[in-house]
Parts: sequence; structure tokens; C-alpha cells
Amino acid sequence: MHAIYELAGGFLVWAALVIFAGGTVIRMAWLAATARKKDAAVFHYFSFYYALRSILHWIVPFASRNMRLHPVMTAVTFIFHLCLIITPIFAAAHVILIAESWGGGWWYLPDAAADIMTLTVILGCVFFLIRRISKKDVRYLSTAGDYILLVIVAAPFLSGYWSYHQWSGFEIAGIVHMLSGELLLICIPFTRLFHMILFPFTRGYAGSEFGGMRSARDW
Amino acid sequence: MAALKSNILRLLVVFLVLAACAAAARAYVTIVEDSAFDDRQMRPQVSFEHNEHNEKAGIESCNTCHHFYENGEKRKNSDSVGMECSSCHYKAESGELELIRIYHKQCKSCHLQKEQGPVQCGQCHRKTGENP
Ligand code: HEC
Ligand code: HEC
Ligand code: HEC
Ligand code: HEC
Ligand code: HEM
Ligand code: HEM
Repeated sequence: MHAIYELAGGFLVWAALVIFAGGTVIRMAWLAATARKKDAAVFHYFSFYYALRSILHWIVPFASRNMRLHPVMTAVTFIFHLCLIITPIFAAAHVILIAESWGGGWWYLPDAAADIMTLTVILGCVFFLIRRISKKDVRYLSTAGDYILLVIVAAPFLSGYWSYHQWSGFEIAGIVHMLSGELLLICIPFTRLFHMILFPFTRGYAGSEFGGMRSARDW
Repeated sequence: MAALKSNILRLLVVFLVLAACAAAARAYVTIVEDSAFDDRQMRPQVSFEHNEHNEKAGIESCNTCHHFYENGEKRKNSDSVGMECSSCHYKAESGELELIRIYHKQCKSCHLQKEQGPVQCGQCHRKTGENP
């Protein structure tokens, strides 16, 4: 158990971070190069003003027409992402482990708050799963990869929750947590989870095209 | 005069015995409860059968944990027995993270090195109060 813990808490953390950062840079560079070759005009008419205007309208809840048309989906997506991103960065356990390994550290959430936010993310994943299964058009568009991705996202939250509550087998849940967290980080640059990085670019692109070229709104 | 002297001596012996008893009683620690965490306890307390732990782990010197530093160097023959870790490692204005860090560092680094003893949060901060 000590050997696995040291591996999952040491070398594999570094490996996951390097693959995440490296993969992100390489994929962005590749996308930029492809765009330059196939659609060089993108760089020409790109406008920071229209890009930012579009990003803002899509990042503020209910600021776009599409969001107002789907209020439940919009609310769940926003709350889900808020908890998904804030919890791991400010979970006490993560900050403490970073202070132990690298020194430094920052403000952290009280455990009780992190716990509720973790549960929120898990319920969000359940919501997305039910939506995929129950809505005919969404089910038709879903591939096995979509379901696997949902499991990969949910896994660190489920196992972290398990470990925190010290249910039986929590030592194993702790190891599973570390491994599944690393898997999630590794998956981000190579799967649809890359939308986290791409979002400002796709919106910026659409915003520039609609705002700068067509003088129209895209929200 | 001689009677007074022996009475003082007797008093001194009684005092020393009492002090030793008090120290022994205090050394019989079963949980770590640093007073710096008194009003901010977030996790369950860590059960730590002080004497039994150190016997089982084969730790001979008290200053393996209760260390004493002078001019930045650890003194081999001195210790800080009787002082809480927080009396040297805690400043209220910089928060408790540093104190948590040094507790974890001391306990965990030895457990990892010996490949024995708890290393995960839940193994030390047991909700049931007992260690696995
Ligand atoms: C594995 C590390 C470790 C070793 C070795 C160790 N101690 Fe401790 N000791 C502790 C911890 C941790 C506490 C609890 C501190 C607290 O709760 O504030 C403690 C508490 C004490 C206390 C009570 C202090 C108080 O303020 O209540 C005494 C007395 C004490 N130890 C004496 C000794 C003596 C004597 C030895 C050597 C025979 C020794 N210790 C070896 C870790 C250690
Ligand atoms: C008499 C003051 C004093 C007491 C009491 C004391 N320490 Fe220390 N400790 C120091 C000093 C001085 C250093 C070395 C300087 C430094 O690195 O901060 C140090 C260093 C350390 C380090 C290494 C620091 C690092 O950054 O890696 C750890 C871990 C540690 N102490 C844990 C403890 C624990 C646990 C206790 C209680 C059982 C304790 N100390 C009690 C003074 C003390
Ligand atoms: C110098 C090495 C060392 C240090 C420092 C140390 N431990 Fe241990 N600890 C051990 C070893 C070795 C074992 C395994 C003993 C056994 O079960 O045979 C152990 C076992 C334990 C156990 C399992 C229960 C038991 O008694 O078997 C607990 C709980 C524990 N340690 C808590 C702590 C805490 C809390 C600290 C810090 C205050 C600490 N230890 C510091 C070496 C250390
Ligand atoms: C080897 C045993 C050990 C392990 C493993 C361990 N701790 Fe601790 N922790 C301690 C000790 C000892 C203290 C000091 C407890 C005290 O004085 O009340 C402490 C203190 C704390 C405190 C401050 C007191 C409180 O309850 O608010 C927090 C928070 C904490 N630990 C969180 C964690 C987290 C999160 C993990 C897992 C990443 C963890 N600990 C793993 C031994 C351990
Ligand atoms: C990369 C290696 C990682 C390590 C070593 C690690 C370690 C830990 C540890 C030790 C805990 C505390 C569990 C307990 O209290 O017993 C924890 C909690 C948690 N972790 Fe991680 N983690 C990692 C990655 C991740 C990732 C990538 C995510 C999510 C994206 C994540 C989400 C969480 C959450 C949400 C909790 C809180 C659970 C709760 O309080 O209910 N972790 N983590
Ligand atoms: C700031 C960064 C991010 C933005 C702006 C963002 C934006 C979005 C948007 C717009 C959706 C689509 C909702 C819909 O279908 O209508 C979505 C879905 C989703 N995102 Fe993100 N996201 C971000 C980061 C992340 C991260 C870091 C993860 C995981 C690690 C993640 C996981 C998911 C999941 C699991 C879904 C649901 C997919 C499904 O329907 O099955 N997101 N996100």
C-alpha cells in the first residue's frame, strides 16, 4: 500500500501534469497551424472586441438566447462547472498536500463546503447521464465515448467523496482517487474535455465572424 | 537547624515525585490535541498512543520528534519535551497551514520511509476515533 501510495502521489502526479500541459500546448499549436493552412482568414478578421463580447455573453448565465431557451440545462451546467473547477483547486486536502510537497499553499474551503460541492458535481454527472439516455435526439448523437467521458469526470469526485467519508475500503478509494484524478488530467487535452481550453477560441471565432463580418449578434 | 534542613529536603523530594508523576501523566498522551487547533478543528482528532507507538516503532530518542534547534542546527543531546509543536511552529497571523504541514511532514515522512504506519487522511483522522 505504501509503495502504490508513493507512486500515485509522486511520480504519476508529475507525469499527469506534464502530459496535461504538454498535450495542451501541442494540440493548440497543431490547431493553430491547421487553421493557418486551411482558413488563414481567421487570423485576419479576428477581433478582440467582438471575441470578448461573445465570450462574455456565453459565460454569464442566461446572457444568451440559447440559455434562456434551456433554463434547467443552463443552470445545471453553470453550477456543475463552478463546483467542478473550484472544488479541486480549493479542497483542503489538495492545498495541504501541495504545502507538504512543494511548500506554499493558498486559502482552502472548509471540508463541509467541499463535500457539498463534490456531491453537486456527482449529481450533475448523473443529470447529464440521464439527459443523454432519456432525450431521443441527444441519445441518437451520443457515442460510447461520451458515456466513458462522463465516468472519467465523475470518478475522482466519487472516490474522493468515498475516501472523505471513510466508508469501508476507503484506503483503496483513496488510491483510486489519485489514479482517476491523474487519468482525468491526462484525458483533457486529447478528448472533448478540451472544450475547457477551446471555449474562448471557438466563441472568439464565432464572435469575430458575427460581430466583425456580419455585424450580427451570436448570442 | 538540622530538622529544618531535612524538612526542606523532604519537601523537595515530595515536590520532585509529584512533578515526575505530573510529567508521566502528561506523557500518557492518547490523542494529538495541539491547542493551536482548539477553536478550528475541521477533521476528527488523531489517535496517538504515545508510549505504545514509540515502543512499537522502536524510536529510542525523544528528540526524534521533540527536537531542539540552535543556530539552525539540530542539537543531538537536547529536546523540547513538554512543549507543544505549535509553541515554535505556529504564528496566528500566518494561519494554521504551516502547523498542519510540519505535523504531517514529521509523521508521514517516517511512515513512508519505514513503509509502516498511516499515510492517508482517513487513516489518521479516524471518524470512529480508532486507528485501523
Ligand atoms: C513519534 C514522535 C514522538 C516521540 C518519539 C516522542 N513524542 Fe512525546 N509527543 C508527541 C506528540 C505528537 C505529542 C502530543 C503533542 C500535543 O498534543 O500537543 C507528544 C506529547 C508529549 C508530552 C505531553 C506534552 C503536553 O504538552 O501535553 C510529553 C510529556 C512527551 N510527549 C514526552 C515524551 C518523551 C519523554 C519522549 C521520549 C521517551 C517522547 N515524548 C517521544 C510525539 C512524540
Ligand atoms: C523548541 C522549538 C520547537 C519545537 C517545540 C518543535 N520544533 Fe520542529 N523545528 C524547530 C526548528 C527551529 C526547526 C528548523 C528550522 C525550520 O526548518 O523551520 C524545526 C523543523 C521542523 C521540521 C522540518 C521543517 C521543514 O520545513 O521541513 C518539522 C517537520 C518539524 N520541525 C516538526 C515538529 C513537530 C511535529 C513538533 C512537535 C512534536 C516540533 N517540530 C516541535 C523548532 C521546534
Ligand atoms: C520515526 C518514525 C515515526 C514517526 C516520526 C511517527 N511514526 Fe507513527 N509509526 C511508525 C511506525 C514504524 C509504525 C508501525 C508500528 C507498528 O505497528 O509496528 C507507526 C504506526 C503508527 C500508527 C498506527 C497505530 C499503531 O500504533 O500501530 C499511528 C496511528 C501512528 N503511527 C501515528 C503517528 C503520528 C500521529 C505521528 C506524528 C505525531 C507519528 N506516527 C510519527 C513510525 C513513526
Ligand atoms: C500520519 C498521520 C496523519 C495523516 C496521514 C494526516 N494527518 Fe492531518 N494531522 C495529523 C496530526 C497529528 C495533526 C495535529 C492534530 C491536532 O493537534 O489536533 C493533524 C492536523 C490536521 C489538520 C488541522 C486540525 C483540524 O482538524 O482542523 C487538518 C485540517 C488535517 N490534519 C487534515 C489532513 C488531511 C486533509 C490529510 C490527508 C491529505 C491528513 N490530515 C493526513 C496527522 C495526520
Ligand atoms: C492528481 C492527484 C490527486 C491527489 C493526490 C488527490 C488527493 C486527494 C485527497 C488525499 C483527498 C482527501 C480525501 C480524504 O479526505 O480522505 C482529495 C479529495 C478530493 N479530491 Fe483529489 N486528488 C487528486 C486529483 C484530483 C482531481 C483531478 C480532482 C477533480 C477534478 C479531485 C477532486 C477531489 C475532490 C472533489 C475532493 C473532496 C472530496 C470531499 O471532500 O468530499 N482530486 N483528493
Ligand atoms: C472554463 C472552462 C469550461 C467551460 C467554459 C466549459 C463549458 C461547457 C459547455 C458550454 C458545455 C455544454 C453544455 C451543453 O451541452 O449545453 C459543457 C459541458 C460539459 N463540460 Fe465543460 N467547460 C469548462 C471546463 C470543463 C472541465 C475542466 C471539465 C472536466 C474536467 C468539463 C466537463 C464537462 C462535462 C462532463 C460536460 C457535459 C457533457 C455532457 O453533456 O455529457 N468542463 N462545458
